[in-house]
Amino acid sequence: MSLFWLSVGFGFVTASVLAVAAVGLSLQFGITNYVNFAYGDFMALGGFFAYVLNSEVLHLNIWIALVLGSLLMGVFAVIVNRLILGPFARRFTKPHYVLIVTFGLSLIMLNAEYSIWGAQVRFFRMPIAPALHIGPLLLTRNQLIVIAIAIALMLGVHTLLKATRLGKSMRAMSDNTTLAMTSGIDTKRITTITWFLSGTLAGVAGTVLGIGEGNLTPASGELFLFVIFAAVILGGVGSIYGAMGGALLIGLATEISAAFINPAYKLDIAFVLLILTLLIRPSGLIARPGTT
Amino acid sequence: MVYYIFTLVFFCFDYFILAMGLNIQYGEAGILNFAYIGFVAIGAYFTGVFSLPSSAGTGQHYILGLGLPFPVNLLLGGLAAMFFALIVALITLRRLRTDYLAIVLISLSLVLYDFCNNFVSLFNGADGLYNVPEPFAKAFGLTVNSFIPFFACVTAVISLLMWFVMSRVMRAPVGRTFRAIRDDEVVAAALGKNVFLMRLKAMLIGSFYAGVGGGLLIQFGGSFNPTAWLPGETFVVFAVLIVGGAGNNIGMFVGALLVETLLIHLPAFLPEIPGHPGLIEYFDNAVVGIVLMLMLWFRPQGVVPERLRRAASFGVRSGLGMLPQAPIEPAALDRP
Repeated sequence: MSLFWLSVGFGFVTASVLAVAAVGLSLQFGITNYVNFAYGDFMALGGFFAYVLNSEVLHLNIWIALVLGSLLMGVFAVIVNRLILGPFARRFTKPHYVLIVTFGLSLIMLNAEYSIWGAQVRFFRMPIAPALHIGPLLLTRNQLIVIAIAIALMLGVHTLLKATRLGKSMRAMSDNTTLAMTSGIDTKRITTITWFLSGTLAGVAGTVLGIGEGNLTPASGELFLFVIFAAVILGGVGSIYGAMGGALLIGLATEISAAFINPAYKLDIAFVLLILTLLIRPSGLIARPGTT
Repeated sequence: MVYYIFTLVFFCFDYFILAMGLNIQYGEAGILNFAYIGFVAIGAYFTGVFSLPSSAGTGQHYILGLGLPFPVNLLLGGLAAMFFALIVALITLRRLRTDYLAIVLISLSLVLYDFCNNFVSLFNGADGLYNVPEPFAKAFGLTVNSFIPFFACVTAVISLLMWFVMSRVMRAPVGRTFRAIRDDEVVAAALGKNVFLMRLKAMLIGSFYAGVGGGLLIQFGGSFNPTAWLPGETFVVFAVLIVGGAGNNIGMFVGALLVETLLIHLPAFLPEIPGHPGLIEYFDNAVVGIVLMLMLWFRPQGVVPERLRRAASFGVRSGLGMLPQAPIEPAALDRP
């Protein structure tokens, strides 16, 4: 039984990483209407930005490095959109061209990260924290901070979308870009802000993935990508709250299953759930109107 | 030196086959198959296990081990990839839009890699397969050095044969229907074409090509290593296709020559930079991505563009997904 509760604790940590990543991916997908296949590499790059600030230059505290690295990643995402993805999306009307471009971007970023940092496993420089008992759960202080960051970010995104003018514009644009544009919303500005948010969330997710797993390589985001996709599709593509719910379900399912099957296959559980969702309820838990 | 040249010749013709398979899926029928390398891997694995002797006593774990001779195992490898494609297509092709399909397929590709890497009793885990028998080596008394030119020629002959078949398929009514679906799915469905069935056909034909291409790879190298089948490898085949020009077979050969031979395998002969293992390879892969983006931006039709087919496309290159640049000719509209 203690193994079960241990897995539940890990499940919450994985769910936190997933929720941040899935919301970042969903925000961008809702606004620009194409999937960013380089998102896993955005995560890894964000993790490496934090790693550089944490261990190579400045030697900042890991949590400060997390914030700065993520903001850097946000700026990077805006630049990528301005220089590459935006122009391609405007020029080609059929979606598959942009998808190939993001796939290519993924390859370029992955190999650029390999060229700069090499293939060896990196570790964040941070204090070793003792484990704490919370009810039946057993979590370290760092894991608790990761969960707290995720909850805070989810509340932040919720407030942004529901209580601010910017969030209202984003939701309008996500529903119907042309209508939003004719209503006087500056769609270009919203797109830039969305990419910044998406990149920042990718950076946070990449860094906390590195903290949670205990290591960081250029490929660590890539293999995690399909778990994010599973969370996003289970929740309903383009729906922010669906992404949060999907992340919680997938995170718990993968980690709890690791208590019963060979842990090497725990991520494959996410894929099984993805296929089941597509067969039973392809629109996801929370369907977004007009996308199925 | 001869060894190097024939290695390049082999990869050029092998990727010609792979690109033709992806071309019928993506270039002709519009299926964005981001799991393509998974089908290549299935073909490679089954070609390997059909030709290897029984697994007992080899220290490897694999199924079958029938010890079949060369062309038979290759054919069975292609059919295995086709069978796998049938399962995948039945689950995914019927109801998913382009981007959902791409998400599921790229996830499938990642999961396949993860699964092969961990499942020791079936796939021998991260070690993969090795000591796959070289075809004809015993019968013709070939040595390590003479095998490579010989097998490069075998591959060339097979690829030309497959090119002949593929060009017939593309000129047949089925090929026209593929292009109609690619250009406008709704119109094709309204004209009574079964979109799902046609896509399924394209998927199966393409996967057979993928399986054969993969089978040739494992026969050439003699081993199967899961890390060679990461999703990034699919991108190389896409680069061959886009650079050569989607929608025509000659372009596939030009693309294979330019991308696979010149960009990927030629720099592999450059000396390593001391202190940075693998730097050239990483850099090279990044360059492939950059070349593809530049190509898509400046010449999206590829080096050898798809021939304009009047009756099928009303004089508008709508297959490119760009806004039509030429006005629709009234004369063309009269044709059925």
